[in-house]
Amino acid sequence: MVYYTESSQLNDFIHRLAKSYRIFYPAPKTNGAKEIDYSYVQCNAKEGFVFNPYRAVEPLKVFFTYTQEEVSEYFTPEPQQGPGKAIIFGVKNCDIVGHRIQDFVFLEGVDVDSGYRLKRENTILITSDCTEFKEVCHCLAWDIMPYPTKGFDLNLSPLTEGYLVEVGSPKAEALILEHKDCFAVAKEIQVSARKAKRESLVERLKKHLAPQHLVPKDSVQKLMKDGYQLDTWKQFMLTCVECGGCNFICDTCHCFLLGETKLGQINKKIRVWDSCLYANYARVAGGANPLKTRAARLRFRFTKKFDFFVDNLGVPACCGCGRCIEVCPGKIDIREVLKDLAKKLFATNDK
Amino acid sequence: MKLEHPSMKNIYRPIEASIEEIITETPTIKTFILRPKEPFVFRTGQFIELSLPGIGEAPFTPSSDPNKTETIDVTIMNAGRITSLLHASKNNISVGIRGPYGKGYPLDVFKGKDIVIVGGGVGLAPLRSLLFSLFGDIDSYRKVVLRYGARTANDIVFKQALPEWSKREKVDVVTTVDIGDPSWSGNVGLVTTILKDLPVDLNKTVAVVCGPPIMMKFVTLKLLDTGFKPQDIYLSMEKNMSCGLGKCGHCRIGRFYACKDGPVFTYEEMKDLHDIWD
Repeated sequence: MVYYTESSQLNDFIHRLAKSYRIFYPAPKTNGAKEIDYSYVQCNAKEGFVFNPYRAVEPLKVFFTYTQEEVSEYFTPEPQQGPGKAIIFGVKNCDIVGHRIQDFVFLEGVDVDSGYRLKRENTILITSDCTEFKEVCHCLAWDIMPYPTKGFDLNLSPLTEGYLVEVGSPKAEALILEHKDCFAVAKEIQVSARKAKRESLVERLKKHLAPQHLVPKDSVQKLMKDGYQLDTWKQFMLTCVECGGCNFICDTCHCFLLGETKLGQINKKIRVWDSCLYANYARVAGGANPLKTRAARLRFRFTKKFDFFVDNLGVPACCGCGRCIEVCPGKIDIREVLKDLAKKLFATNDK
Repeated sequence: MKLEHPSMKNIYRPIEASIEEIITETPTIKTFILRPKEPFVFRTGQFIELSLPGIGEAPFTPSSDPNKTETIDVTIMNAGRITSLLHASKNNISVGIRGPYGKGYPLDVFKGKDIVIVGGGVGLAPLRSLLFSLFGDIDSYRKVVLRYGARTANDIVFKQALPEWSKREKVDVVTTVDIGDPSWSGNVGLVTTILKDLPVDLNKTVAVVCGPPIMMKFVTLKLLDTGFKPQDIYLSMEKNMSCGLGKCGHCRIGRFYACKDGPVFTYEEMKDLHDIWD
């Protein structure tokens, strides 16, 4: 079902929801960057909703696993407590597609992470179409569109005035019905307008990406397998400072380390995000380390994304959000690493 | 989003166990007998995460008979931060255990076959659990052939048990040390030197190898040379395993996680992957 809402009605809707949910949306940062960055803030009832034209600085995973969090206490059969109900606005399709990896890791496999599941169940995702893109955006290279078609609760598409609101889940439909004075059923002409806006953005993004000659999606696993011994890894690692930024800012990176902490007399087990670029990531007791070099670790990051996940989930674990490109102090560009492998492997096919 | 699992079980919660007894095996290896305070059952070859509350956690494969469910033995070499603290610890302290994790040894596949077990150093620990499982159901197997190598005579674990095992019916034990000394009258040489002329029928034999990576590499090469097929060689892959659940990412080997897909893999599964012995 698709609805229409005026901007003022949407604000009303959000302010009403704020009474029972913690609400987050990306707000513009005034940090003087060439492109305005949007960063998640908790909604203040006095402020109006801001539409972010492209993805936020933070990946969606920040709402579901934390850089450091307590996961258990010694030795109590403690119940799992989530942070309560939340609504997240401004999520983009790259995030939705990338977050599929987080869901795969924490909700599937040998056991379900019940804490993650609780957060997931208690969170409503309100996505929106991209109306602009950042220089680093390259979702289309992975056949990901800059607007979501599934995986959301509600999706907002800005029209010249107001928004189209597409419903993606029963719980979102219930929310709309509860606040039906804020919504009208969308007219066909409005749905056509959305289509035109979407197509226009896709065309602009295609034009932006064409000169970059990005590698095709279906070539990446071959690049990993055949390019394992190439000097690309050594070459690109030269500027890696092992900060882990690329991992932490990534929608799909999920690695963590379980650790221990003490709070007074109570011992707790904590979970902290980890980075495969860190020197001790794979080190075992006694000191052996299968990922001794930065080149090996950089390659590990790539083979995880473009080989492991293709084998285990059928898709590469990159959503083209470009966050890792922006964050890297060493200017290591995921697009360029892949292109370098392709160039070296398929050199004979080039003109 | 898939939410079909209704369980609210906390997968990171350690259960409490007390260290009931500590047995010194060698100057660097001790066996800890743990008594869990909640029921804890494992299959041979599965591993546990053992924690010192508030301090740290590390993965170990139990060395005891899985049919003995009251207590769990874990045989540990003093090799790192957690293991050195464990070695310095006393009886009756509380530790945490999580698990069991991994698939363990596929005993069903082993049935009706000759089982060659090759251990190096403290690698005999998980193999002792396997041996107990095989001994407990010895009629299901043709023969058990144990080949064990330690660095010196002082480094041999389960020193009293080895001669007892060799007296068992259908069990053949040969031990060697890398470096001989006057106290040792047995074989001297790497474990690969006692893999010649194995008393087995190669068409009906599996080999199970556990030890340091370098030892497993050369044993695997030797076994292949002897005529073993890659799918009949079972290897314990040592990796940094934090969660044990296939979620934390650390123990990835190619398309596998050592924790959930292993830690025992056939050489057939490993042979085309890169850097498996590192």
